[in-house]
Amino acid sequence: MSGVPGDAPERGTPIALSGPERSVLLALRSIGGSPVDEDELARQVGLGIDAVRGSLQRLRSKHLVVVEEEHATSVALTPRGREALAQGLPEHRLLDALRRRGPIAMEDLAALDLEPDERSAAIGILRRRGVLADGVPLRLRDGPIPPPGPLPEELVLRQVENEESDVDPPIVEALERRGLVRTQHRSVKRWSPSDEGRRLALVDEGGTSIGALTPALLSSGTWRERVLRPYDVRAPVPLVGGARPHPYVAWLDEFAEVFLGLGFEEAEGPLLETEFWNNDVLFMPQDHPARSIHDALAVEGIDGHPPPTDLLARVAAAHEGRPLPGEATPIGPGWSASYDPAIAAHPVLRSQTTAVSARFLARRPEPPFRMYSIDRNFRREEVDAQHHLEFQQAEGIVGGEGLTIRHLVGLFRSLAEAIGIRELRIRPSYFPFTEPSIEGYVRHPRLGWMEVFPGGVFRPEVLRPLGIDVPVLAWGVGVTRLAMVALGRNDIRELFADDLDALRGRGE
Amino acid sequence: MPRSTLSLRRVVELLPDGVTDAALEEMLFSSKAEIERRVGDELELSVTPDRLDLLSEGGLALALQGMFGAASGLPPIRRAHATVRAWSFEVDASVDPMRPCIAGARVRAPAGHPLDAGLLAEAVRFQEILHATVGRERRAMSLGIYPTRRIAPPVRYAVEEIASVRFVPLRGGSEVSGPEFFANDPMAARYGPLGSGGGRCLTLRDAGGRLLSLPPILNSHDAGEAGPGDRELLLEATGTRSRAVREGLRLLLVVFSARGWSVAPIPALRAGSEPADGSPIVAPTEIELPSALLEQIAGTSLERSEVVRMLGRARLGARTVRHGFRVSAPPWRPDLLAPVDLAEEVVLARGVRPEDGVVPSTPTRGRRRAETVFRRRVATLLLGLGLAQPHTPLLVSEASVARLDGAAPIRLRNPVSSEFSHLRDRLLLSHVEVLAHNTRRGYPQRFAEVAPVVVRNPAAESGGETRYHAGTIVAQDSAGFADAAALVEYVLGELDVGAVREPAELPGTIAGRAARARVAGEVVAEMGEVHPRVLAEIGVPVPTAWAELDLTALWPLVARRDTA
Repeated sequence: MSGVPGDAPERGTPIALSGPERSVLLALRSIGGSPVDEDELARQVGLGIDAVRGSLQRLRSKHLVVVEEEHATSVALTPRGREALAQGLPEHRLLDALRRRGPIAMEDLAALDLEPDERSAAIGILRRRGVLADGVPLRLRDGPIPPPGPLPEELVLRQVENEESDVDPPIVEALERRGLVRTQHRSVKRWSPSDEGRRLALVDEGGTSIGALTPALLSSGTWRERVLRPYDVRAPVPLVGGARPHPYVAWLDEFAEVFLGLGFEEAEGPLLETEFWNNDVLFMPQDHPARSIHDALAVEGIDGHPPPTDLLARVAAAHEGRPLPGEATPIGPGWSASYDPAIAAHPVLRSQTTAVSARFLARRPEPPFRMYSIDRNFRREEVDAQHHLEFQQAEGIVGGEGLTIRHLVGLFRSLAEAIGIRELRIRPSYFPFTEPSIEGYVRHPRLGWMEVFPGGVFRPEVLRPLGIDVPVLAWGVGVTRLAMVALGRNDIRELFADDLDALRGRGE
Repeated sequence: MPRSTLSLRRVVELLPDGVTDAALEEMLFSSKAEIERRVGDELELSVTPDRLDLLSEGGLALALQGMFGAASGLPPIRRAHATVRAWSFEVDASVDPMRPCIAGARVRAPAGHPLDAGLLAEAVRFQEILHATVGRERRAMSLGIYPTRRIAPPVRYAVEEIASVRFVPLRGGSEVSGPEFFANDPMAARYGPLGSGGGRCLTLRDAGGRLLSLPPILNSHDAGEAGPGDRELLLEATGTRSRAVREGLRLLLVVFSARGWSVAPIPALRAGSEPADGSPIVAPTEIELPSALLEQIAGTSLERSEVVRMLGRARLGARTVRHGFRVSAPPWRPDLLAPVDLAEEVVLARGVRPEDGVVPSTPTRGRRRAETVFRRRVATLLLGLGLAQPHTPLLVSEASVARLDGAAPIRLRNPVSSEFSHLRDRLLLSHVEVLAHNTRRGYPQRFAEVAPVVVRNPAAESGGETRYHAGTIVAQDSAGFADAAALVEYVLGELDVGAVREPAELPGTIAGRAARARVAGEVVAEMGEVHPRVLAEIGVPVPTAWAELDLTALWPLVARRDTA
């Protein structure tokens, strides 16, 4: 770095100082070691007291000055106190008059040049001190009378006027109650440079320094003749938030990589489905409890359409236990209930990604095939820490000659290992569209056994109407729950949290 | 999953001696029942919906007997001799519009072991489980249990005038008239509409005119209250669906069969119809299991004797036939419909172990959908602009919809709450909520989300089409229409799509400061300044710009160009 104007300071910490701050610091350094109060400093620097105070505070925040603070109490005369000192206290004047004139009738008090409130105060004070006898007219009690000369209160008033420090506190308090004196509390700050303030290298700016660079300064080149004022690089700065993928979305993306790595192709389906694709084609009986208005979310004001006629006829035959069109024997006994094609067209929010599998199979993919879909589903649930109307499933199907339940278990194992879990247990389960149906439980190091992989082999009643003649293994992983575990969340609602500070990386 | 609390003692007394808690727990893990809680004698179980029989102590004990090797094959189903031919249901056609189906059986206690309080409690508890599940809260099916000692057969099932009914309700105390019963009884309030209408109600009466019950509401005290010491019971099921009626009755039989009671079916007779003798109700189901199918599912070749043994372990009767096995399933196993169901029984009886798993070879290539990749690309572009990324639900609130004048998203017919009542048709509906939740956070606030919406589309199969949007919000001191338009231009530019902007009136925006962008007439984006009325309502103190790109509309344009 060179030492030409425009460069930052060459030595020391590059702390930025404004003009007044520089002046104040230079003045403190020139005074020497003893602390200086603000008034004195203002006089020396030639700046207003407020400007000096502001500069001192800023210098203090930069650790360049130190302050000693003294708390002082002083007593001063009020205007009434000054008047009383000049004329004598009202009780003094009344006492003098009684001495001079003897007893005084109340109506004659006006002649004593006492204000009405002063008269009553004076009478009260002299009575309390036992100087006045009871009753009227006013007269001195027999006995010792205070000697002529200033009263003790007047002596204290005088001391206050002379700014003496050794004053009698009870009398001061009494005078303050009478509004004759006022106690003032103030702190006196005495400033001196800190060690760092003494050491700080101050650039000889040789004129007005530059704060922010402006386009005008740059285009004119005048910055070359000026000093660029160093900034306080330790001062607080505005918050800046970065954008980053939503943690849940990012986790789902990563989870998809597991499927991609195992050779699965992605599929997608509509979120608003028909009952046909959501249920019927999956051999869910039309009176299944999960299809009721209490469990599935229906919509109003729109109508759906039935599927292609030939597919509808095949699915209806499977439900009713009749042979598929063109075949001689039924696939199975069906649900012993008549199939209602009108229900098939009802729109319903998708409750399982198995509907995506069904749509994929309806396209009659060439075996062998592997498909996955990670997507939203909806169930009619009250929202709480463990339940949400919306949840994600990772659906997977594998189709091909010779696939068996053992392959399904093998895939569960692969999936568990891919997410870092090695302990797996299998137990029986039930889904209307798979037989056998099983569930894979994995052992989480902290939470114990968790039910993660529900799956099975699609029933013939599902596959045959769709025209699939190879075994198809299917499962739907509850990824929402897995994500909660992986992301350390205890409340499912946090997955939909939209706190922008958290999303911008400003701490959670 | 269906659940209930069973008496552990009543289960264990039917099992071999020495069954430990640990063994029981382990065995249940391999079954379709799961222990939810156990306190003393109370065993709370949940079961998969196909194995309701396991929610009765008798049914669970029969299954466990097989698993522990204490019994094998089809449990004995003792058929009582139909000594009294007169036992039948005479079904009047008047029931057809209301509740046409009926089935029934008599069950008789083994000598010296009449009905006791434990068995009665088990039967009544299981009856209620069946009402709630198979019976769909009695709509599809309901069950009745009566002592036969006070019933003179045949039993007539008919519809009567409510005014003509007088009876003492079960546990009701005094006699009431039909109108009084329907007006005052809580059971009538709850189930009355299922068994009455137009001043008439369903009745079951014996030959002497004695009222057994008002199906599916309540039994009468006179003929319908079974108690300890009864030696023979009438079980009946009425309903709207024949399958549910059959299933309900067959499942209830397990309670009695497990304790050695014998069963006699009761025929249902209808004028002008062939008499149905009811035998299939209590008879085992016969299904053939081809060996080839079993091997195809199990993934291994099994000895025929082992298959028979495994089916026996599952409490199914089995014998070998030419190409497989002839299997008999007890009446309380309605889940066994087809050969594939029997294959599952064999597989599960053998046990499915992780170590048996085989990873299939992978001749397939993993790939994301090209459209998903495109959406991710847009999300990355927006992230690159420093826009934070919220993740919001598809369902939005009533209040949010009301805030945006003119918004008309699809509404749920059965919302759980007004907080999630509509399917958003634009992300702005969700993003206004994000703004409302963040009014205490620092500004500027800039965020974007690529997510689905559902828009009305009569041509779509469901009447609503799922589309993907990229929605952006810029809320800051200087935000305005230009910021929104600039975001759209930027993304379209990056996608190499040229669009034409035109003025538009859009929900929630300032008139004259909103626009649509079109490509070849199709809308690909909307943008505008959020109306100050909306901002004031949610407490946002700075101007806010909004832009939303329709990625579903853009994708074909981008895909066409990419493949060109």
